Amino acid sequence: MPARALRVGIGGPVGSGKSSLIAALCRDLAADERVGVVTNDIYTTEDARFLRSTGVLPESRISAVQTGGCPHTAIRDDIAANLEAVSELEESAGPLDLVFVESGGDNLTAIFSPALADVQVFVIDVAAGDDIPRKGGPGITRADLLVINKTDLAEFVGSDVGAMVRESEARRDRLPVAATSLRGPEGATRVAAWVRDRLAAFREHGHLHSSAEGAPDHHHDHPHVH
Amino acid sequence: MDALMLVLADSRFPAGAHAHSLGLEEAVNQGLTDVPAFAAARLRLVAEADARIAVAARRGDADGAEAEWLARCPSPILRDVGMRLGAQLLRSAAATWPVTPRRTPRPVALGELGAAAGIDDEGVALLALYDDAATVTSAALKLLPLDPAVTTSWLAELAPQMELAARAIAADDRPLADQPAPAAVALELAAPVHHAREERLFAS
Repeated sequence: MPARALRVGIGGPVGSGKSSLIAALCRDLAADERVGVVTNDIYTTEDARFLRSTGVLPESRISAVQTGGCPHTAIRDDIAANLEAVSELEESAGPLDLVFVESGGDNLTAIFSPALADVQVFVIDVAAGDDIPRKGGPGITRADLLVINKTDLAEFVGSDVGAMVRESEARRDRLPVAATSLRGPEGATRVAAWVRDRLAAFREHGHLHSSAEGAPDHHHDHPHVH
Repeated sequence: MDALMLVLADSRFPAGAHAHSLGLEEAVNQGLTDVPAFAAARLRLVAEADARIAVAARRGDADGAEAEWLARCPSPILRDVGMRLGAQLLRSAAATWPVTPRRTPRPVALGELGAAAGIDDEGVALLALYDDAATVTSAALKLLPLDPAVTTSWLAELAPQMELAARAIAADDRPLADQPAPAAVALELAAPVHHAREERLFAS
C-alpha cells in the first residue's frame, strides 16, 4: 500500500464546474474512501466555503491555499504551497486515501505538475463554446481524463456535444473523455468510476504515471523499482 | 557572486513566495501607495532582523536562531507564514542540496541552506534582504496599476542599501541575542486584519 493518499488534480477554466464536480465525487466516494480536498482560490475562499456548505466532507478535510493571483504557477511552476497543504491535511486529518487538489480557474494552458498530482482531470463545459476542444492546449490534450461538463445546457447554447467529444478524442490519442451533466440522473458516476479505477491502480503499483508526464500509465507489464 | 546565489535569488525558485506580499496587500488596503518606501522600511526593520537570523543559522546554531526568531516574531499569524515559507524552501531545496525538509522559520531555513550550498555569511544576508524586497515589488504589480520595468528599477535603487546591510550583518560576530533586533509593529498589527479579510490575493 502507498504511504500517502492518491493526489488527483482537478483543473479547467473558471466556471466549468470543478467545485461542483468535486462535491459530486466526494458524495459518491466518501462512503468508501477517506477523501480530502485542497482548493486554490483566486481571490476568496469561495470554493472551500462552497464545499464546506455542501456538507459532503468534514470541515477538517478541506483546506484552502492562496495563489497570489497565479493559479497556474501554484499547480505547475511553484507547487510548494500546495505540497505543503496536502501534507498538512494528511497529517492533521489523515490518514487519507484520496486528496483532490482543485486548481483556481485558469486558461487552457494550465496543467498540474506530476510532482503535485498523480493524475489529473481537466474540466471544460459546453456553455463556454463548442470550439474549446479545437483550441487545444495541454489540459485538453494531456489530462488523464477530460470532462465535458454541463451537457444539459447544450441545446440552449447551441453547442454540439457529439462534435466536442469527437474533436477531443481526436486530439487525445485514446485518453478518455467523459461528457457529463452533474444535474442529470447520472451525475458524476462515470468520473467517480474512473477515480476508483485510478485509486485501485495506485494501490496496486504504489504510484501512477500521469499522461501529463508524456508517459501515460501503461499498467505495468514490467516490475519496477524506484 | 556565484551562479548558485543566482539560482537561489531567482524568483522562479519554487519556494512558494509568489503567494505572499509580506504585508504589502494589507498596507495597500489601508491606503499605501509608496511601495519603494514600504520595501525600504522592511529592509531596515524586519528584513534586517531576518537576515541576522539567517546568518546565525548559517553559522551552525539553527535551534538558537529559531528561538531568537520566535522571540522577535510574536504574531501567531506571521509565525505561521514564516514557518510555512521555511518548510516550502527546504522542501524544494532538498532536491538539490543536502537539507532536510521541516517546519522552521524561513530565515533559519535559508541559513541552513546557505551552509549546505556553501554560501558565505554576506551572501546569505544579501539573499535574505533581496528576496524580501523582490517579493514586495513583485506583489505590487498585482495590487496597484504599475509598470513592471519601474518596479524593477525600485529594486535596483535599493541595491546599495541591501549591500551595506549585508556587509554589516556579516561583520557582526556577536551572539544573536546581543545584536540589534529591529521590528515593525504595524506589520504585526496589520497581519490579523489581512488574514481575516474575505477577499485577498495573497496569503500574507
